[in-house]
Amino acid sequence: MGELRLAADALRRVFAGGAGVHGIDLEVAAGQVHALVGLNGAGKTTLLRLLLGMLRPEAGTVRIDGQDLHDAGPEIWARVGHLVGAPLAYPELDARTNLAVAARLRRVPTPLISGMVDRGLAELHLAEYARVRARVLSSGNRQRLGLAGVLQHDPDLIVLDEPTSALDPAGVILLRQALLGRVHAGAGVLVSSHHLDEVARIAARISVINRGRLIGTLDPHGVDIERAFFALVHADEERRAS
Amino acid sequence: MTAALAVETRKLIAARVVQTATVLLVVGVAIMTGALTAAADAGNEQILAKLGDLAGEHGWARLLGVAAQIIAAAGLLTFGVTLAWVVGREFADGTISALFALPVPRASIAAAKLVVFLAWTVAVAFLLIVAVAITGLVLGYGRPDGQAVAGLARLLALTALSGLLATPAAWVATLGRGMLAGIASTITTIVVAEVLVVAGTGAWLPVAAPALWAIDPAAVSAPQLALVALIPFVFGALAMQSWARLQLDR
Repeated sequence: MGELRLAADALRRVFAGGAGVHGIDLEVAAGQVHALVGLNGAGKTTLLRLLLGMLRPEAGTVRIDGQDLHDAGPEIWARVGHLVGAPLAYPELDARTNLAVAARLRRVPTPLISGMVDRGLAELHLAEYARVRARVLSSGNRQRLGLAGVLQHDPDLIVLDEPTSALDPAGVILLRQALLGRVHAGAGVLVSSHHLDEVARIAARISVINRGRLIGTLDPHGVDIERAFFALVHADEERRAS
Repeated sequence: MTAALAVETRKLIAARVVQTATVLLVVGVAIMTGALTAAADAGNEQILAKLGDLAGEHGWARLLGVAAQIIAAAGLLTFGVTLAWVVGREFADGTISALFALPVPRASIAAAKLVVFLAWTVAVAFLLIVAVAITGLVLGYGRPDGQAVAGLARLLALTALSGLLATPAAWVATLGRGMLAGIASTITTIVVAEVLVVAGTGAWLPVAAPALWAIDPAAVSAPQLALVALIPFVFGALAMQSWARLQLDR
């Protein structure tokens, strides 16, 4: 395995009632897509939030490009792109302005923003909506807009939570191509999904999460990975019940 | 901070909520001030009774006194609601999660929101005194004399100070993870101020001092007025700290 873009060690955060993340180790290597697959409520979003500092862990550490999350400065965060939750698409701003906002928040130098936004709009096929306010975009196009804002600055680490949920099949293919291009350039990608969608299928590693713990991995080249996934989850549930 | 200021400025200028608040406050204050003053000029007993000490005044003096009373409540309410939206909308729209893991610190984003908001309140203040001046001219009070110009300048200050007094809404909206908490805190502040002014706390209460000063400058001392400046510093710092320490845990 090459250089690590992201490494979590014994990450733990448990909410009242017992849900949360119960000690997870996870790595995302440069030039690799790592998919995180689990049923609804398995702890995927909590884990991604812990990895990005949206939640503070009770125990464990997170490193981005070798730097502890506590000490990560602007130069580290400028190289990250993430979509965990709602896309950064302010309804009162048009698509172009929303992308300019996303670029500014990544401290992209002003002279570079216009060209970057043009490429972002073109890559996710949003050019015709450049001057359309996000308020009137479909949820799928808002999701595309959010993804364009995450990807346009060519981050080294990309973290996406169920990015295909609002996308049409054409959007899924665009995202897959956009991710593969960046992975080939050395980015590390962590993508979560509640099913083995088209994006999970481009992963070099697929980790399965259930009830806040990683319970195994799937072979991305396996013949029936859907069945293997459910077998893992079922076995974990049986083990807990016994 | 430059990046955060640029982003927040773009958002504020494009926001319908802010545009609507501007029009409602400026036009609303002009119409209410004009209607009340015109009614008083016509000798309406009920209105004159409600105006209290101002009933004995005439022309510009009465108009500006009435405007100050209306702005003191309507300004704080409008500004508090708007600031609650400026902050709370990130939680309501779910965009708050996109404001994590950025090279721009969240405390800078919170500070930029406050700076841009306060700049807007100053712009509104200028529009407001123009609207009040036009109202006076329409009512036939003639060119404002030196006293009236000073009164208009105090209205400008009152409006801008009302913006400073609204800053707690930013902190409360953060604690409440949405705009409703910020709006509720603003309404509570206005009600508490009214009650305490009636109880005689008067000018030592920062939320009441600017209005009392705008109506009668002699009634409020400089230290009493200066206390108003503490509000944005204290609550701005609290809002920035809350944004810096924010977690998406509820």
